[in-house]
Amino acid sequence: MKKFLAVLMAAMMMFTMIGTAGATSLAGTYDITVWVAENAVELTKTQIENFNKTNELGIVFNATVEAVSEADAATQMITDVEAGGDLFCFAQDQFARLVQAGALAKLGVKAAETVSAANSSGVVAAATAGDTMYAYPLTADNGYFMYYDKSVIPEEHIDSLEALIADCEAAQKYFAYEMQTSAWYLAGVFFGTGCVSEWTMDEEGKNFVSVKDTFNSPEGLIAAKGIEKLVKSPFHLSSSSGSEFASGAAIVVTGTWDFNNVQGILGDNMGVADLPSFEVDGKEYHLGSFNGCKLMGVKPQVDAVKAAALHQLAQYLTGEQCQLERFEALSWGPSNLNAQASEAVQANPGLVALNAQAPYSVPQGQIHGSWWDIAKVIGDDIKAATDEAGLQQALDNYYDKIAALFKLDNNALLFVGAWNGWNNADETDTFYFKDGVLTLDVPESDYMGGRIVNPGKWDTDKGFAQVVTGAELIQDLGVEANPDNNIVFAEPGNYTVTVNGSEITIVKN
Amino acid sequence: MKTYSDLEYLKLSKGKKFLYKISRFFCSIPQKILGLFVALWNLIKKGCSKVKEEAVDIFSTFVNGDWKTKVSFLVMGFGNIARGQILRGLLFLLFEVVFIGYMVLAGGYWLSMLPSLGKVGPSEEYDFVLDAYYTVYNDNSFKILLYGVLTIFFIIAFIYTWRVNVRQNKLAEQILAKGKKLKSGKDDLRSLVDDQFHKTLMALPLTGILIFTVLPIVFMILVAFTNYDGAHDGYYSNLFGWVGLDNFNTMLNWNVNSGGSVQSYAATFGEVLSWTLMWAFFATFTNYFLGMFVAMAINKKGINLKKLWRTVLVLTIAIPQFISLLYVSKMFAKNGIINGFLMSMGWITEALPFWEDPTWARITVIITNVWIGIPYLMLITTGILMNIPQDLYESARIDGANPWQQYTKITLPYMLFVTGPYLLTSFTGNMNNFNVIYLLTGGAPTNPAASSAAGTVGYTDLLITWLFKITQGAESQYYLASVVGILVFVVVALISLVVYNVLPSIKNEEDFQ
Repeated sequence: MKKFLAVLMAAMMMFTMIGTAGATSLAGTYDITVWVAENAVELTKTQIENFNKTNELGIVFNATVEAVSEADAATQMITDVEAGGDLFCFAQDQFARLVQAGALAKLGVKAAETVSAANSSGVVAAATAGDTMYAYPLTADNGYFMYYDKSVIPEEHIDSLEALIADCEAAQKYFAYEMQTSAWYLAGVFFGTGCVSEWTMDEEGKNFVSVKDTFNSPEGLIAAKGIEKLVKSPFHLSSSSGSEFASGAAIVVTGTWDFNNVQGILGDNMGVADLPSFEVDGKEYHLGSFNGCKLMGVKPQVDAVKAAALHQLAQYLTGEQCQLERFEALSWGPSNLNAQASEAVQANPGLVALNAQAPYSVPQGQIHGSWWDIAKVIGDDIKAATDEAGLQQALDNYYDKIAALFKLDNNALLFVGAWNGWNNADETDTFYFKDGVLTLDVPESDYMGGRIVNPGKWDTDKGFAQVVTGAELIQDLGVEANPDNNIVFAEPGNYTVTVNGSEITIVKN
Repeated sequence: MKTYSDLEYLKLSKGKKFLYKISRFFCSIPQKILGLFVALWNLIKKGCSKVKEEAVDIFSTFVNGDWKTKVSFLVMGFGNIARGQILRGLLFLLFEVVFIGYMVLAGGYWLSMLPSLGKVGPSEEYDFVLDAYYTVYNDNSFKILLYGVLTIFFIIAFIYTWRVNVRQNKLAEQILAKGKKLKSGKDDLRSLVDDQFHKTLMALPLTGILIFTVLPIVFMILVAFTNYDGAHDGYYSNLFGWVGLDNFNTMLNWNVNSGGSVQSYAATFGEVLSWTLMWAFFATFTNYFLGMFVAMAINKKGINLKKLWRTVLVLTIAIPQFISLLYVSKMFAKNGIINGFLMSMGWITEALPFWEDPTWARITVIITNVWIGIPYLMLITTGILMNIPQDLYESARIDGANPWQQYTKITLPYMLFVTGPYLLTSFTGNMNNFNVIYLLTGGAPTNPAASSAAGTVGYTDLLITWLFKITQGAESQYYLASVVGILVFVVVALISLVVYNVLPSIKNEEDFQ
């Protein structure tokens, strides 16, 4: 069915191609709205002017550039897509929401190839949902590190969280690390002890189908103890604003965007460093972090010609030249590989600190929108905890909330086949392996076959070749008749299928 | 419970009298609610009999009417025109033509789509030559719901007009049978500025209220029965559809979403509601009594510079709340000016948890609200206090009443009588006091056990700020926000009904005349 559809689609596209062969020229004037961060408004205006002058396609944009912060863009888009900017910039964590809300246009095939080749792999993954690229990488510096006041913090202490907390308490100065109001900062601690939270989307990129999350584990408990040290200090401040240096902070964990701000406040006393380590039960754990990026998206258009023209502009604005201009004017770290290699970028102190943190940072893939709300509460929960059981309770709460929101299984597998209409979406609870075990009714049909896949995928994860026990219950059709390695039952009935590592056991009930 | 006769009641001690009154009040609540249902039932019964009456009347008009009347059942206004009331007839006819035209051209479509809220969602197409994706948008659930409701309004208006048309035929026949003359178009126009002037005046405001108030409210209520959210915006992402009572089940069922230690929505709702009521109570009465106290203090003879004190207090009103509240929020922050001052004076060694600890945060918002609220109350009560006849106090003093007795026996009853309705509105207003809570704490500190699928919920969140957070949360669950909105309405309506009926100003209208 899937293949038939594909052929049909291809045929239809051929017709479309013939039909629209006349509309190849993009030349024309387009009225568009562009949303960028406030400090980038003037620069973007100039860049669009440059595009109008230099492009060889005859495209002229009559652009209205509006200031909308990258943190708000998604909410504003989702509230009213119609009134949203044709081009808009947003932080990576909002990507999944925007795709689900139908507020991002897919990149064309050629554009996707060009952009993938020109940018670092992490940011390309950030702009991709399922198998589809939906946005243009704009920066690659959305990570965080530590700024500190050299007059308060001695340099030899910057590697130890405990020493830093003690210094702050002694000096009655604040340690600003946004642990209670932002999952983005909080999750780094868990990554530092080896926990993961990895989310998988279906091929279309519209739905999340599985998650591997180990925050609620012995390693997670170690991370919780690390967070506890920080949030229970009376001089911890849950903030990530560089301006806190002006109101009594000695340390602020934030990113490159605050560089000029902090330098303005601290002057020569400003120090930057990668995040410190914390100690639990005699063992050191370096604080981890997220590294993400900012993206530029194109709003879906009704008119294919305008859409194509907008994509040309987006490609230009996120290209090497514009990224370098932005680096020079605003210190935004480029995602473009050529731009990253330039000397000026290599020497920037903020980016140097970010690079020092890089070995401990985790690329921020696609994450379920609700995760941010669920995870950020951990900090408050840990603060309220009075003993280790309380810490464990915080992690349990977190786990339960994700489980309530989403099927949580660290080895998510589905059995797709004739019995569920070859459905590989996550809604098919009945065909979902829980702890590796699935009991299934095989109905009488012409082809009583199927295979074990990861949710949202069609490729066989496990199949005929992996069946070790119960081979007599299934048919051996040979590789030619069964290229997909399907498991084909000999007769209908109720079966229990168990997956253990790479071995499958089938028992008839 | 035991009911005392008047004599027995008078024998009780003061405390017992009070307790007796309170328990009477609570005991009467079930009865009052029952009364409400009885009233509702009577209303329905009355409505049914009214509809029956109308039907019988319409039927008899048709059977007994002449041919002009009979044709009017189909062609509105025909009877009027045939009997010489051209203007009226033409208006009826025009309305019918417009209605039929609208229903054929648009209304029929909206109405037919209303049960499904749209059939075809948006689809993404690929242009091979341009190598670009573009989108074809189809049905729009949002518009279907909006215009569907509007169409139903229109149909109701049409049925009403049709009924008026039928009745006019009957009346015309009766008038003609008595040998009197019918009103001409000129008479009709004249009456619009004469005996029918109220209709002329009310036409515009009523239409406005219908379109800008009633229609949106109906629309918002209906959203609670759909799955309208960020991923189903009805046009750009996915269509949305009816889900029946599912959302109410999610919000009110204690067992939903209670995986392990996480609260169900119902539990979260209960917690937020109890704090909302607590907040409304304290916010209203602290302001009320402290405001009155300040007004009395300033009014007192022998206080100098009265105008200065009043001006100083009114300054808080002069600064927009958006600014002053955000500033106060910063002042009480962990590294804010207040903690900084206390620490530099050496009175505390670590910051006080004004916004971090649930109880501290709740008390701080109430106190901040006192600071904002007192000036308003002072202004309101100053005028009323001056209005209390001084001879009452004079005679009380002669009888030997001390200031406290004067306050409880004269000032307070008078104040309660005059400001009772104000207290009620300010109580309901405080229940929905979005500004103070949102700008001061944003709902913080977070309640970790509360379900956060719909945005995080904090210990200082009111229902109204929670509602806002739900719409702004990762999933933008407008449907759930709508459910909360409806529940807020129910709570406010219940409280208002009960309290309104026990207000002295309503119960003893004659007291202070």
